[in-house]
Amino acid sequence: MNTKEKLKKILIEDLNLEELTPEDIDDNAPLFGEGLGLDSLDAVELVVIIQKHFGIEIKNMEEGREAFRSVEALAAYVDQRLATT
Amino acid sequence: MSATSKPWSSRSIGSTWQHNVFYTLIRCGGKQAAYTLLLFVVLYYTLFRPEVRNRSRPYLKRRFPGRSSLPLLRDSYLLTLGIGRTLVDRAILGISGPDNINVSLEGTSMLAKLLAEGRGLILITAHVGCWQLAMSSLTALDTQVNLLIHREEGDLDRHFFEHGSDKPPYRIIDPAGYLGGTLEMLQVLKNRELLCIMGDRSMGSERSTVSVAFLGGSVKLPISPYKIASATGAPVAVIFPHRSKSGVYELQVAKIMRIPGNLGRSERAYLPFAREFITVLEAFVAENPYQFFNFYDMWAKQGEG
Repeated sequence: MNTKEKLKKILIEDLNLEELTPEDIDDNAPLFGEGLGLDSLDAVELVVIIQKHFGIEIKNMEEGREAFRSVEALAAYVDQRLATT
Repeated sequence: MSATSKPWSSRSIGSTWQHNVFYTLIRCGGKQAAYTLLLFVVLYYTLFRPEVRNRSRPYLKRRFPGRSSLPLLRDSYLLTLGIGRTLVDRAILGISGPDNINVSLEGTSMLAKLLAEGRGLILITAHVGCWQLAMSSLTALDTQVNLLIHREEGDLDRHFFEHGSDKPPYRIIDPAGYLGGTLEMLQVLKNRELLCIMGDRSMGSERSTVSVAFLGGSVKLPISPYKIASATGAPVAVIFPHRSKSGVYELQVAKIMRIPGNLGRSERAYLPFAREFITVLEAFVAENPYQFFNFYDMWAKQGEG
């Protein structure tokens, strides 16, 4: 399972998005607002999720801002962080 | 935490020239002159501007149930005078300097100890006393103070530091910014800084609130302070500033809370903490009935108020 697929599965399970399947989530759709429909407090949850499942602590929130654009961006961020650790 | 569709407004009821009259009076006549003028201005607003009475009525009717019209009019006067005094004090601090306003912080060592844990510190306060002014005393803790606050376009009353060229004693995080300022809040806690959040007003998103009992009715409180504390492990202190006498403010630590980690996404998980907060807030308004400054119907169901 690649990072994108894993992320989609985790988002659905940990954010209780039961009405969605991984196939429903567009790689490039915005995570917040239109798109996946997450709200600002889900960003807090997302930071926790990334740490819990990938052991990555987002220390610089500017990076987080970039990574939280879409599943595609988040997966790229996770892969890049895992590659440098 | 979108700042849209909120039932309250941060805009002053006074016009630009009215604010400027007070600023000029403080500069030329001193603080007593400003306090004296305020008595008459508030009397005028209470008697002849029904919208001022209407804005204070939801709170006063619950704080003083069963009061008849005349005592309620007096309560409305005292409550409006209360906020007027804090605004004047804020201007005095900005114009005449810190020697003219005394802000004391009780529990400094307790807060310093919490900060020393290295996870930042969340201070939850409410629209009571002169909270902005009291925040200035937090500089004693020797760390960056960050304040989550939304200012509307057209806000006329200035922060005290805006009267001069002083550097703001706190950094403002706008909840109307990207993701409601959430990432900035997480960042300041990672930097082991202080984060001050208002615990008594939600910014409009229904999902980010829980209903709790307050003064005999149900109000919606934001869960964001508790959720952020749960995610970061930051300790939480509830602090309330109150005006104890003319030109003197006391900032007291009312409660320390520890929010367990991994509480998840459900709002209900944060309900016990919102209840703890509202309990201490209710005790505060019991002691300081004319220092609670939420001039809108907190109890109205969404869409009514």
